Amino acid sequence: MALLDIRLRKRLPGFELDVAWTSEASVTTLFGPSGAGKTVTLDCIAGLLTADAGRVAVGGRVLFDAAAGIDVRPRSRQLGYVFQGYALFPHLSVLDNVAFGLRALPRRERHARARTVLERIGLAGFERRHPGDLSGGQRQRVALGRALATEPALLLLDEPFSALDAPLRHALREDLARVLADWGTAAVLVTHDFTEAYRLGDRIVVYDAGRVVQSAPRSELLWQPASESVARIMGIRNVLHGTVVKATPDRIQIRWRGQLLEAVNSPSRSYLPPADSAIAFFIRPEYVRLIRKDRGAADPSHHMNLMEGVVVGEEDFGTTWSLRIRLDARGVPAQGDHDLEVEVPHLVYEILEIDRDRRWQFSIHRGSIHVLPA
Amino acid sequence: MDFFPIALSARVSVTATALTMLTGIPLAWALARRQFPGRRLLDALVVSPLVLPPTVLGYYLLVVIGSRGPVGRLLDGLGVSLAFTWRAAVIAAWLGSIPLLIKAAQAGFDGVDVRLEQAARTLGRTEWSVFWSVTLPLAWRSITAGIVLAFCRAFGDFGITLMVAGSIPGRTQTLPLAIYDHVQANEMAQANVLSLVAVVMVVLLLIGVGRLARLRY
Repeated sequence: MALLDIRLRKRLPGFELDVAWTSEASVTTLFGPSGAGKTVTLDCIAGLLTADAGRVAVGGRVLFDAAAGIDVRPRSRQLGYVFQGYALFPHLSVLDNVAFGLRALPRRERHARARTVLERIGLAGFERRHPGDLSGGQRQRVALGRALATEPALLLLDEPFSALDAPLRHALREDLARVLADWGTAAVLVTHDFTEAYRLGDRIVVYDAGRVVQSAPRSELLWQPASESVARIMGIRNVLHGTVVKATPDRIQIRWRGQLLEAVNSPSRSYLPPADSAIAFFIRPEYVRLIRKDRGAADPSHHMNLMEGVVVGEEDFGTTWSLRIRLDARGVPAQGDHDLEVEVPHLVYEILEIDRDRRWQFSIHRGSIHVLPA
Repeated sequence: MDFFPIALSARVSVTATALTMLTGIPLAWALARRQFPGRRLLDALVVSPLVLPPTVLGYYLLVVIGSRGPVGRLLDGLGVSLAFTWRAAVIAAWLGSIPLLIKAAQAGFDGVDVRLEQAARTLGRTEWSVFWSVTLPLAWRSITAGIVLAFCRAFGDFGITLMVAGSIPGRTQTLPLAIYDHVQANEMAQANVLSLVAVVMVVLLLIGVGRLARLRY
């Protein structure tokens, strides 16, 4: 029996959610573009929205089952919800916010419990402040504390970092990871940022336009997106199209821009498209290798998938440079003005004097060419 | 100098305001937060006392609560008469002032983020508790403003009261009606005193509420 078993159908004006996924992971992230239905899913799990059909079970407890007529009220679901923007009560102190869900306890005990929670999340001394006096990071912690104080069976987090600026996001991501690990509460986290989804989630459920397009452990998703559209949602660069020459259970040969590329096939997936069919694949920019000119001529038997081209554009990202490469092959480049995006560390860029020397040979290991099933 | 109109007006407007709060706040909440058939119609209907001529309102009110009206007859059977008593003045003041409270309170409820109420629900609170611990405290300023406006309107009602309660000296003659009578009888000194009393009462009330509103929530 899965920890989470979610099946939902919900029709809203101009949008339809139709998803089904299960998870055993302690942290599951729902990842996808804005408007994909992630928040609607959280609201249905919390019971704030009633799905038209489906079933919601958390740790074996059925909270919603349209067919069986079960619809547990939000107040009885025992879930913690950290809303986007936190939804702290502006008229209550930090202590009263955290104690809000402990109404069943006598006042003294309620406050003692809330104080313990504040200490645990590093906000001791903030009891009498109001949410308006807190920084974004402190507000997030109060929202977390308020939800965790009730000892929920599951924590729901909606874009927990969207209200924060970039440097803080990074620090708080690690903060949140620590709090989740410390409390050991299972969580479902919604984000449109893949780094966040990957850093925090053990399982990632990819949403697009009200559907689940892939649900996988995070490392599997990182290297084996289920389709080209999943790769695009993840923001993977160098998603390319070629023609199959030959596919075997452990190799796929692809014709692309006048090159014959050899890629590793995944035996577990055993994707065997017929010859001459179209195929999509991706090459991560940081996995394209530049061939140094001071170490003799490139050796095709050693350097796999060898090709040659010119740098036609570049962008400085501080510690790395992104180069746009146009290959020597005739015809229209694969990505507008260029065929490949290649990322090199700043140091390499300087040592090889790429700003002056624009013609290079490149090699791509067959394990770095990832085939995307149609 | 007869101070009865001042006492009567105070009694009528306080009772009417209490009645307005009791009926207006739940109605405003329902209009702001609930979906039900006829909601739009009701939303339009509650402002009608603001836009209809007071005498027209008074006329229809008399039709309903008069001794031949449905409510009047029902109450007559119980030995209670409404028309041309101070109770009729209360109902008149209530009818004239309730739109002001409903509109202000509705705006107040609309201004409360539903996410806060949902947060309270996920934290185990009942709808009743959500209202008292989240919705009402956050809408309180608008509601207070509405109560003050409603009180002032109830205090100053003329047309509706005249139609349903008459202007019986010593029984149903409220302060605004008494001022009118004094002016008609060319008793300017008395009109002057009563008008001054009205101005002072309202100004004191507004200052008091202004202080209250500066408090944090």
